[in-house]
Amino acid sequence: MNVSIIDPLQGDFPEVIEEYLEHGCMKCIAFNRRGTLLAAGCANGTCVIWDFETRGIAKELRDKDCTHPITSVCWSKHGRHILVSATDRSLTLWNVVNGEKIARVTLQHVTLHAYLHPGSCSPSVSLACPIASAPVLVDLITGSTTVLPVSVCDTGNGVPPQSRNKFSDGSPPFTPTAACFNKHGDLIYVGNSKGEILIIDYKSNQVCGVVPTSGGAVIKNILFSRNGQFLLTNSNDRTIRMYDNLLSQKDGPRSLDEVSSSCDGLEGIEKLKAIGSNCLVLSREFQDAINKIQWKAPCFSGDGEWVVGASGSKGEHKIYIWDRAGHLVKILEGPKEALTDLAWHPVRPFMVSVNLSGAVYIWAKDYTENWSAFAPDFKELEENEEYVEREDEFDLVPDIEKVKESDINEDEEVDILTVEKDSSFSDSDMSEDELRFLPAIPCPDEPEQQDKYVGSSLKLVDSNHSGSPLSEEAGQNGLANESSPIEVVGNSLGDDTDAGTSSKRKRKPSEKGLELQAEKGRKQPIKKIKSSSSKSSKSKNRTIEVLETSDDVIEVLQ
Amino acid sequence: MAAESSPPPPYKPYRHRETLTPHSRAISCVKFSNDGTLLATSSLDKTLAVFSVHPILTPTPLSTLIGHSDGVSDLAWSYDSHYICSASDDRTLRIWIARSGESIKTLRGHSAFVFCVNFNPPSNLIVSGSFDETVRVWDAKTGRCDHVIRAHSMPVTAVHFNRDGSSIVSGSHDGSCKVWDAVTGACLKVLIDEKGAPGPGVSFTRFSPNGKYILVGTLDGNLKLWSFSTGKVLKNYTGHVNRVYCITATFSVSLSGKYIISGSEDQGVYIWDVRSKALMQKLEGHSDTVICVSCHPMENIIASAGLDNDKTVRIWVQDA
Repeated sequence: MNVSIIDPLQGDFPEVIEEYLEHGCMKCIAFNRRGTLLAAGCANGTCVIWDFETRGIAKELRDKDCTHPITSVCWSKHGRHILVSATDRSLTLWNVVNGEKIARVTLQHVTLHAYLHPGSCSPSVSLACPIASAPVLVDLITGSTTVLPVSVCDTGNGVPPQSRNKFSDGSPPFTPTAACFNKHGDLIYVGNSKGEILIIDYKSNQVCGVVPTSGGAVIKNILFSRNGQFLLTNSNDRTIRMYDNLLSQKDGPRSLDEVSSSCDGLEGIEKLKAIGSNCLVLSREFQDAINKIQWKAPCFSGDGEWVVGASGSKGEHKIYIWDRAGHLVKILEGPKEALTDLAWHPVRPFMVSVNLSGAVYIWAKDYTENWSAFAPDFKELEENEEYVEREDEFDLVPDIEKVKESDINEDEEVDILTVEKDSSFSDSDMSEDELRFLPAIPCPDEPEQQDKYVGSSLKLVDSNHSGSPLSEEAGQNGLANESSPIEVVGNSLGDDTDAGTSSKRKRKPSEKGLELQAEKGRKQPIKKIKSSSSKSSKSKNRTIEVLETSDDVIEVLQ
Repeated sequence: MAAESSPPPPYKPYRHRETLTPHSRAISCVKFSNDGTLLATSSLDKTLAVFSVHPILTPTPLSTLIGHSDGVSDLAWSYDSHYICSASDDRTLRIWIARSGESIKTLRGHSAFVFCVNFNPPSNLIVSGSFDETVRVWDAKTGRCDHVIRAHSMPVTAVHFNRDGSSIVSGSHDGSCKVWDAVTGACLKVLIDEKGAPGPGVSFTRFSPNGKYILVGTLDGNLKLWSFSTGKVLKNYTGHVNRVYCITATFSVSLSGKYIISGSEDQGVYIWDVRSKALMQKLEGHSDTVICVSCHPMENIIASAGLDNDKTVRIWVQDA
């Protein structure tokens, strides 16, 4: 909703660490579709769901069977299910709302990445990329697996039999291959160890197109941007490649058929390559020529404008951001621990990175005051503008004022009801069914602390019943209408009562915030109720006048 | 202007249906729950009362929320209608389970009377405004105060989240009405009536249902509808009296039309048509200032509350 007022001129990517979240040792993270919830898989097998708005834990998914470290987390499209893969070779499907396990499948190999089919509302099919073999499609309810072809010769005449219920023992070991669904889940894109991208039709499990990458290095990651228009691959040759997806979003297989029918003249591999070149076109390559970094966790920004690659080698925590034209716009450096996972918020300029010791860092845009917000007729200028006076500027009664009344269209229809569709989500229509938030159930206070405070507050009330102690800050400075940057609050005694979890969060104010705090003399961050008793001697004259204008005066005057 | 193939249905007047006297002192707020099954009232007698108003409209008392050590100025329902948050002169806010009356959480931090409170639509955040001139945003689950916004130079009289919870509007006796970003606490916009600055204090403010307009009541008897994006006044509703108290107004939207309903210091409940600003009806019956009105979310039922000389909650329904 604020998008229209926020200054569009600032770069839309995060720049500073705003906060960090700690809860055990988190290994991998994923945002839900709207970016309101962040799921994090931990080393002890539980999956923690954070409410991204309040930065607190919304839910924890734990089960006695799940005790092994989690390797990947994936949300379903409507946010009601989460798929978790762990080092005990299992895939677990959770129901987010009630926190219960729906299904659990154990595979032959540990899965590095697992994805839920993005097209359906309650998905039961997942794509798993095991650590040492070809990607498989797993039906989570029945447990059956379908191995995907990983090289072109598989689609020749001698198609090896697709084993349904057990992994075929005769298959040669493959180095880890990457795979992902396209936006609607009707096509699967596999990056194999020869550096080729295979386009596989989901239903028929046949390779329909091949796109070779230059250099032929093993492809480690492959993923789409959120709008499905761009594809990203991360290869062993330390290069991130970006492709334009030429197929239409709506019906991938059909447009693939159209493309293939236009290449009818060719046969076999040549045909597949021709089809492939009509589906994906290489548009950019990103690499760090100086340091030759092996990239980790590459991804797109939510709107596809920025490409992000992270480096965790040599214990560094660096994030590189390029724009789509290929220019490196920023290198962000995090705290001195290797980075293990990275995710960009689907709609807002936030980024979340995980370090080796399991803390999650939230990167956000640097907070800058929007001065034009402070008065209605303030306008921010890019550069000095010569001010041209109005004709009647110095008149005693400017003409302008006279016409002002008639500007208001008296009888205009005021639409207080219709809500515009959010353009950043293409199918907001079906969002009725979507789970956006987990209900926040207030944690009950500890009973002893409540009694203690009731006692003390009664005392205070009796002594100042004729006025309210104004906060120190009001009298102290002339910052009457200014909003303060994020303050380090949270020290009020008796408020932190989540005894059950060991989570804590800290907030590092940006530099500007620290400056402003220093200006104000560092008195305010501590807001404890006991200290207010010392303020009771403060000026009360102002309060009387103020109180008369509220309905609380009745009690006071009586 | 929408081309209307059929004329809008004629206005059906409201008539008085019920009177409740749940409190021993002036009532400060009355609100229907979001699911339309409960009605809550708060009072200067330090308690809140919850009534069940479903299925038949004879409100039956359900629970009394006792715990505050001073008068309660405002209350807000959580989105799922399970929790109520109340703002009190004892400088705290309390979160209660509505049906059982149990107080489960106390939010401390304000240094003066807490005057107004609201939940955000997902109900994981609570915003409160206080006589200490700050607006505080609290995490509903843990009770932590997320932001302290030094919003105004005089007591904050109203706070409200917009439809998606991304912005907060706050009004104050210093005459200004400001919009804040809920996530960062930054000021997004300031609405001050250009003609009068410093003008009359803002007694009440809230967003329209779609968040595009802001309704601002000022202590000179004006109730204005501002456009959020352009910052201009679009409509001005007058006829009522509002000079001293912070009287709430609300939007009433139904198939029969869109109205603005407000209390008044002349003891009546005023109903205006949103578009034409015509006064459709004035409901009489209270014997003191009508401080608060609330519309049932689904049906055309209005609840209004009066101050000390009245102490009643009146329910008004439309003739069938």
